[in-house]
Amino acid sequence: MESDSQLVARAQSGDQQAFAELVRRYSALVFRLAVSILGREFIPEAEDVAQEVFLKVHYAIESFRGEAEFSSWLYRITFNQAVNLKARVRFRSPHADETVLYRAMTPGPRPGRQAETAQRDQFLAECIQTLPEVYQSALRLYYWLDTGVGEMAVLLGVPENTAKSYLHRARQLLHGMLKERGYSCE
Amino acid sequence: MSEMEPREAGIDSLLRRSMAAPVPRLPSDFDQRLMREVGRGSQPLDRYRRILLAGYGLTSVLASALVMRGHGLNWGAIAVMILGPLALVVGARWAWSRRTVMNFR
Repeated sequence: MESDSQLVARAQSGDQQAFAELVRRYSALVFRLAVSILGREFIPEAEDVAQEVFLKVHYAIESFRGEAEFSSWLYRITFNQAVNLKARVRFRSPHADETVLYRAMTPGPRPGRQAETAQRDQFLAECIQTLPEVYQSALRLYYWLDTGVGEMAVLLGVPENTAKSYLHRARQLLHGMLKERGYSCE
Repeated sequence: MSEMEPREAGIDSLLRRSMAAPVPRLPSDFDQRLMREVGRGSQPLDRYRRILLAGYGLTSVLASALVMRGHGLNWGAIAVMILGPLALVVGARWAWSRRTVMNFR
């Protein structure tokens, strides 16, 4: 199997097959990273981000000098693109609020506690959206998108210990916010 | 995550429960659609457009220079009026591509 740098070199000389292979290798990961930044209510937008990222990469691949891994370069573009889009779409009304989606997808407990649990889950979802982007992304990658810490570190372009600390810090912050509101984490 | 503090375990299981949802996937034809899009941007049509634009640009420059000269402007002023906006366009283009490359790092 050809390495990324071989494929990049071929793509730089105009080989579309090589670029198609890079797309095949990375499209799912780019999409996953975009989804983790944008959240559940913007899945179609995450697909647009993935497309936009590869079009940008195709346009700029000649300027890639191989100082970093191709994948790191790609994920950095994805992160920037998704964060920029998120900043723009915040001013538009979303298709459905993430908190509503959380509620709809969470299996319901006993009827007596249902309202309280739903309220807590809604509050939790709101709290998640107040966290820094990297924490939100780390949480979604780990808890929703079934991404291991190692892969999460690669996608976010940080060492594994940093990725772990993002999760740890995010959990601490959420715990504090829930506690402050009087919600139990059990 | 075996080193998790006990108080973190509660929020961990809460997050697992409340964030559980189907994992979205890209449509199976995403790669093909993307490659069609990529191809569209780098086809001969694009080159044809460039040649057409360059031809139009050169003709406009020549016509403008002749008209300005006809109004009695000297060649220095004509050069500034033509090359000034051109330099602005080139500068903006350079700044844009520089920004794109910097964003990639």
